[in-house]
Amino acid sequence: MSWAQILNFPFMQHALVAILFAGIAFPMIGVFILSLNLIPLRFAMMHVALLGGAIGLFLKVDPMLSGLLFCILSSMALGPVSEKMRLGVGILSGYFMTLTLALAFILIYKADIHVLEAFNILWGNILSLTILDLIIVGLISLMILIMVFLFFKEIQAILYDREIALAVGLPEKLFYYLIIFMLGLTIAVSMRLIGALLIDAFVLLPAMAATLISRSLKQTFFFSSLFGLLSGMGGLYFSFVFDIPTSSTIILVASLIIAGCFLFRRRLSGYEKVR
Amino acid sequence: MEYCIRISDIHVQLSGHYILRGVNLEVQSGEFVSIVGENGAGKTTLLKVVCGILKPSKGQVYIFGNDLSQFKNLTLLRKEIGVVPQRFISHRFPIRVEEAVLMGRYGKIGLMRRPRKEDWDKALEIMEAVGIRQFCKKLVHELSGGEQQKVALARALAQEPLILLLDEPTTYLDSSAQSEIMETIHTLHHQRELTTLLVSHDSHLVEQYSDKIYLLKEGRSCLVK
Repeated sequence: MSWAQILNFPFMQHALVAILFAGIAFPMIGVFILSLNLIPLRFAMMHVALLGGAIGLFLKVDPMLSGLLFCILSSMALGPVSEKMRLGVGILSGYFMTLTLALAFILIYKADIHVLEAFNILWGNILSLTILDLIIVGLISLMILIMVFLFFKEIQAILYDREIALAVGLPEKLFYYLIIFMLGLTIAVSMRLIGALLIDAFVLLPAMAATLISRSLKQTFFFSSLFGLLSGMGGLYFSFVFDIPTSSTIILVASLIIAGCFLFRRRLSGYEKVR
Repeated sequence: MEYCIRISDIHVQLSGHYILRGVNLEVQSGEFVSIVGENGAGKTTLLKVVCGILKPSKGQVYIFGNDLSQFKNLTLLRKEIGVVPQRFISHRFPIRVEEAVLMGRYGKIGLMRRPRKEDWDKALEIMEAVGIRQFCKKLVHELSGGEQQKVALARALAQEPLILLLDEPTTYLDSSAQSEIMETIHTLHHQRELTTLLVSHDSHLVEQYSDKIYLLKEGRSCLVK
């Protein structure tokens, strides 16, 4: 089956547009997560979204909207609060993660909320995106690309070493908080749109592959976007051709890319040793 | 007399106990001053106070005669202070030596602006002076400990600072690399008319290079040279 045949379906057109945006921009957030060791933050946001969703259901408000709102507020607060408490964002994320999960379960139990309805916020579906969803993905992707383009040198200094960024006279805190905010926003929105499982495929796996073969931060951003795009498009195509779940297929392609990069790096280091 | 750095009876409390308890120190413009003391004496804490990363719970720090606690914008001050941290960058962050040195210019270049030709020229000139020009295309994490320390020194100097703060610049280095880096620091201190404040646990190593030496013990300081 060719791309032309696949793209006859409107839901596939929407999925392809989302992959074009998210595949290019979201892996850049993955580079931030890996360099600043913010993996716990990604889990914390999922649980914050769950609590937000449960509160939304309790208040009879759209749970997606309240989940998103909670994630945005949390990502805005996390940086300054961790600074004030002199705790790393990773540790504070662990605290947020367990606390919000406990609160969500208490609320679900006490308010008699249907569990599956609350957990729905975690399961997105790339094949059921609306035009509004695409606009949101597009806007966030654009924000990420603009941020990386305009503030490349500031981001480079912070990812290299936050203390050095501060020592050379950059407003390090401001940029660190901006990175955390964008991270929270990306995770919250992508959870709604592509599901918790696919976040890793779009955000983390391409960034992991890129760090294996890159020799500069520019290369890391470039390769992470390229791999994000390739795994998204490849996953979408193969899932349709072989009739298997899209999210899992995208992750499978991304994992194969990582394995390829690992082999490439081994071969490269072997060549350098011989030389 | 106008001091470049003057520290008056500072106390620093971290996690409930005092790291510094009454430190006094004076550094005149152009001086090479060392602070020696055992591990855990509070040397790094003192340097963090001087560059405004930590706030003392009591006492004053004056930089160029201005009280640090009165500075509204410490970012402006930090552009005039070059810092060489103690630790190496352990993770495999993909950055070439020339980019790491250029980073010293970032505060002066300004937000959202790309490095100009004169910034690259300055970085190259410093790499030449420090003796790492030949490594400029290599990745920082591929270098030896001594070479990485020179990269950190070059980055701090690329900032064109008035004050240079060095936190144990010879730790983790073998004795020949220690002497080499100290010679480089001392030469550049004179060539660039810097005011240098260095902390070290090795008083013998820094003695021949220092105009003044302070001993830091149990959170208190005393002038020993």
